[in-house]
Amino acid sequence: MTGSVPAIHTERLARHYGSRRALENLNLQVAPGALVGLLGPNGAGKTTAMLLLATLLTPTHGTALIFGHDATRNRRAVRRRLGLVFQESSVDGLLTVRENLLFAARLTGMSGRAAHENIAEAMERNGLTAHSATPARQLSGGWRRLLDITRATLHRPDLLILDEPTVGLDPEHRDMVWSLLAAQRRLQGTTILFSTHYLVEAESADLVVLLSAGQVVASDTPAALRSTIGQEVAEIEGPGAEKLAAALRGLGAAGAGVRTERGLRIGLRGSREAVVELAGSAPGIERFALRPATLEDVYFARTR
Amino acid sequence: MTSLTAIHGVVARDLLRTMRQKSRLLGGVVRPLMWLLLVGTGFNAIAHVGGGISYQEFVYPGIVVMAALFGAMLMAISTVYDREFGVLRLMLASPAGVGAVLTGRVIAAALVGLLQGAVVLVLAPLFLAISAGQLLAAAGALALGSLVSAVLGLLVAARLRSVENFAGVINVVLFPLLFVSGALYPSALMPPPLRVVAQINPVTYQVDLIRHALGQQAEFSVATDVIVLGGVALVLFVVTRLLFDPEQRFMVRRSSHSAAG
Repeated sequence: MTGSVPAIHTERLARHYGSRRALENLNLQVAPGALVGLLGPNGAGKTTAMLLLATLLTPTHGTALIFGHDATRNRRAVRRRLGLVFQESSVDGLLTVRENLLFAARLTGMSGRAAHENIAEAMERNGLTAHSATPARQLSGGWRRLLDITRATLHRPDLLILDEPTVGLDPEHRDMVWSLLAAQRRLQGTTILFSTHYLVEAESADLVVLLSAGQVVASDTPAALRSTIGQEVAEIEGPGAEKLAAALRGLGAAGAGVRTERGLRIGLRGSREAVVELAGSAPGIERFALRPATLEDVYFARTR
Repeated sequence: MTSLTAIHGVVARDLLRTMRQKSRLLGGVVRPLMWLLLVGTGFNAIAHVGGGISYQEFVYPGIVVMAALFGAMLMAISTVYDREFGVLRLMLASPAGVGAVLTGRVIAAALVGLLQGAVVLVLAPLFLAISAGQLLAAAGALALGSLVSAVLGLLVAARLRSVENFAGVINVVLFPLLFVSGALYPSALMPPPLRVVAQINPVTYQVDLIRHALGQQAEFSVATDVIVLGGVALVLFVVTRLLFDPEQRFMVRRSSHSAAG
């Protein structure tokens, strides 16, 4: 279906709004079928990157190829292979679930029996059949989001771009969304690019790209990113936190660290025992805990 | 083929939405009929429009145009609504692209305009002595006029980002178009500057063409009306397409919301 051509290939992709550099020099290489997470604070350039890849923005400079098609010069070819889920729901509240899907099918060129069969199958697969005649305005936020995803995958896109697909959803619907997306990858081999502020959702990605102020500040697998923090992370609270951190640095046991509301989080290298011993004898420590490094640690270390 | 299917999709959706807003449809028909019955009846006694016809007979073509004009132009609110609530992005990201979306929008709005104008038009035999052929010719004129009104509405909506803005702007556009068109009183009675405005107002030609169809005295030839209306529809559609730059809309939207992630 997709061959050896990368699903996404960007070189120095950038978008400026006047003097504001929303995105700068994005170099991305994504293999077909991969799951890619775009992380970063609000205003980091995630949505801009997605709109550029979705052909809805023209780059200020650089190129973006989607399955070998230029996202600026060959928009129609790119759009045929693309499914989009925006941050805000794109569902028409006056139309029923089925009518919304029929509208989406026609927009992608599907009509007649093929469209109706695809819609019935997609509704069945995603648990929407019982809601097919329900006006979309009567759906809960979770079901609207599932309808959004069903709509975006109706034409079996090779690349699915989702901008914060689980924002505002309860855990049950978040789980349903990720189950649908996993099935989409497994059954169709769809490449998925998503952004999220729930960092745990990116733990299962093949590639995580961390953006800050329009720049890529880290890009690798979650495991490789976590390893840049250290083997473990120490959470240190209390008036003696700074002194202990300095002592750990003196030992060469401290990696990247960030200040939190209550103290410090420091990545650790080297001997665990030596660190624990030092912490145990340090004055003014109210809490000292060790835990495995997470993407959240990477996020704070690279974006603060 | 993709474009035709997409156009079909846009038209079907817009018509479905409209049919589900029954009070809006009803208002679109009641408004011109109230004008005809309340204002027309009152003015019958005091207004002398010449040509051996009553004011109500004179104003009838204008009322038909009013129904279609409001119906078609107000359909453009869907475009603003879709922009505000995110559906437009979905449409513009489809393989068919912006041209198909705008074409579908114009067709749907023209059909709604035609429908609302036709409801008033079929009542014409109650007020005018006309033949079935004249009624059919008037329906044809109404279709062309509705097409122009649909494009006009889309042009107004091309750059507006909120439904509230649209509601404010459209009234400022609609009423002058109607009042300075010869729909409600003969343009010959207008002061010279307004007559100039009337001559560049496309609604003037819509009213004029329907007067031709209904056998009333008209200002321009049928050919002039048809050429002007066809030309205006085409030129305004191109202008709307140029103004309707999807990228610029996102740029404005995102920067105004400061929500770019």
